[in-house]
Amino acid sequence: MTEAQNKVKVHVEKVNKSYGENHVLRDISIDIAANEVVVMIGPSGSGKSTFLRMLNQLETPDNGTIVVDGFDISDKSTDINKVRENIGMVFQNFNLFNNYTVLENIMLAPVELGKMDKAAAEKKARELLDVVNLADKADVSVNSLSGGQKQRIAIARALAMSPDVMLFDEPTSALDPEMVGDVLEVMKNLAGTGMTMIIVTHEMGFAKQVADRVVFFESGKIQESGTPEQIFNAPKNARLQEFLSKIMHA
Amino acid sequence: MFKKYLLGLVALVALLTFVPTAKAAEPHYIITTDATYAPFTFQDKNNNYVGIEQDTMAAVAKREGFTYTMRPMSFNSAAQLVSNGQADGIIAGMSITPERREVYDFSTPYYKTGVAWIVKKHSKIKSLADLKGQTVALKTGTAASEYGKSLQSKYGFKIKYFNDTDTMYNDVSVGNSAATFEDMPVIQYAIKNGMSLTVMNANNPGNAGSYGFAVEKGQNKALLASFNRGFAAIKKDGSYDKIVTKYLGAKQATFSGSKKDNSSILGILKSNQNALLKGLWQTIKLTVIAIVLASLWGVLLGVLGISEFKWVRGISTTIIYLFRGLPLMVLAFFIYIGLPGVTGIKIPAFTAGIITLILNEGAYTGAFVRGGFEAVDRGQMEAARSLGLPYGHAMRKVIMPQGLRIMVPSFINQFIITLKDTSILSAIGLLELTQTGTLIVARNSQGFRVWAIIAIIYLIVITLLTWLSNWVENKIK
Repeated sequence: MTEAQNKVKVHVEKVNKSYGENHVLRDISIDIAANEVVVMIGPSGSGKSTFLRMLNQLETPDNGTIVVDGFDISDKSTDINKVRENIGMVFQNFNLFNNYTVLENIMLAPVELGKMDKAAAEKKARELLDVVNLADKADVSVNSLSGGQKQRIAIARALAMSPDVMLFDEPTSALDPEMVGDVLEVMKNLAGTGMTMIIVTHEMGFAKQVADRVVFFESGKIQESGTPEQIFNAPKNARLQEFLSKIMHA
Repeated sequence: MFKKYLLGLVALVALLTFVPTAKAAEPHYIITTDATYAPFTFQDKNNNYVGIEQDTMAAVAKREGFTYTMRPMSFNSAAQLVSNGQADGIIAGMSITPERREVYDFSTPYYKTGVAWIVKKHSKIKSLADLKGQTVALKTGTAASEYGKSLQSKYGFKIKYFNDTDTMYNDVSVGNSAATFEDMPVIQYAIKNGMSLTVMNANNPGNAGSYGFAVEKGQNKALLASFNRGFAAIKKDGSYDKIVTKYLGAKQATFSGSKKDNSSILGILKSNQNALLKGLWQTIKLTVIAIVLASLWGVLLGVLGISEFKWVRGISTTIIYLFRGLPLMVLAFFIYIGLPGVTGIKIPAFTAGIITLILNEGAYTGAFVRGGFEAVDRGQMEAARSLGLPYGHAMRKVIMPQGLRIMVPSFINQFIITLKDTSILSAIGLLELTQTGTLIVARNSQGFRVWAIIAIIYLIVITLLTWLSNWVENKIK
């Protein structure tokens, strides 16, 4: 995080969300600056994925305010599609479009939304395939790829829209262990380019290396947040201490 | 692009269905009849509608200077279309009864008749009392059937109903039913032409009465007056008697073709080539238009069924529930016979048939289309939306192509069902393949051979349709 670009990219204020009796998010407030890499950790069901999905309105909050890129997406009159064009998202299960080839997956949104003509979109797609080290897979069907390859294509697909925020929802959780490194490598390089990234993950090593800030979710609340050193080496919150001791001994 | 195709199709259906029937100068009427009722109305070997009633109607119209379109269908439909104003008049061996006078205005009687009771040749049944516990075949809605039914409690027989004369005769001649009741001249003509049945009361017909031409009560007074004037004239100058003699005196071969033509499948095929081709064409036309429009309607219902909005999903669910729950024939009768009685808007039978198929087949299609879309992983939609694609784009580009691929076998199945379902539309008088078969059998009494031909034609068309569908399926994959 560079101090010169200390612009707020994501502003969240007093957001709540319930599914029936289950209060999954309680009064969440957080600001995330441009170029910042924020990693969200916490036990399953702590609300971190739900929170992430609210940032591009795949989930809607019951109340509270969410401003991304200066657009108030908790306001119903905001054109959410326009906002989403600038927010890339990478899913746990990749969600590549099964009816298209690798290249078509990456080209679909820019062409369909009129951002680029086909030629320009293809040029960009091939560049992105180079970035994720899969240039040779351009014309294959996505079903022939391994999980790690799929996830790297998914990252390339999100980048094709030139977003200025990237959301990662447990991007390595569905991968075989030997595939995880390739995907984290791509994400690390992306962080190096100054991309604003919000990542939900269980990869603590990655969080220590790449995160500017680590946020700990538990019971639908942000219990503690700080630099990786503060969170991993000097945790104050009792639940965070318990969580860390559990995963470190696993 | 989608909309353009749809518009084109609608125009095509309109063109095919709304054939202009009215000419300005002479009055033009729509007359219904039952073409399985020789010698009064039937199809001859050249597939023209002939018989005492047809020749009489032609002679009357010529004298009175009006034109008409003759619509052959089952007796019941023919009668109902007149009583609800869809057609102007009916000439179909309709006995004049007090009950019918409540609904229709009758012409002067054109033929005196009575009810015969009939058994198979060499039957053991000798008197009505022997019918106790036996089955009696009756045709729905006829005066003869009313008469038969009135004897039921006295003689203790069971009743089985049929929609046309010929199937009913065959049921008796093959021994499924013990006896039947029918208008005297009709059965006498059939026996003379080779039907192996015996009339038991030739000298003592039951419920003696007369046939009359009928219009809806209080309507079409000009047509009724024309008929009465014209009929009086042809009766007076002897041309009516000539018509009667022509049909009652002639041999079967005169009208239904030589024995050679009717005693082999090839002969029947050859002598009925034109009628069968016309029937087949009508079936194919119905099937193709219905498949295309029902698929579009079904896909629309399916798309509405997975809408973001609960009330839109509700509309889709309700429509599917309603039209999947109604039997096709009930729906056809409701649209063709029921609705015009209330709205006063006449619907051509072809259009009514197409609408029926669209609603019925479309509901089934809608159900499996919705299921196919729902079977596409939710993550596909989320990924598309997260890139900024609006719901419609995401549906068209990502969800629908994948869902449709899942549905291809269901579509092929539905196409075949649609083709077969067109046969049910013979009930509203559409001259498709099945109705063509009914008319041919009514003339030549060769039930086994004719229905074998019809069955094989259906199988051939279904095979071709399946091949075509499989070819398309492979192309998609």
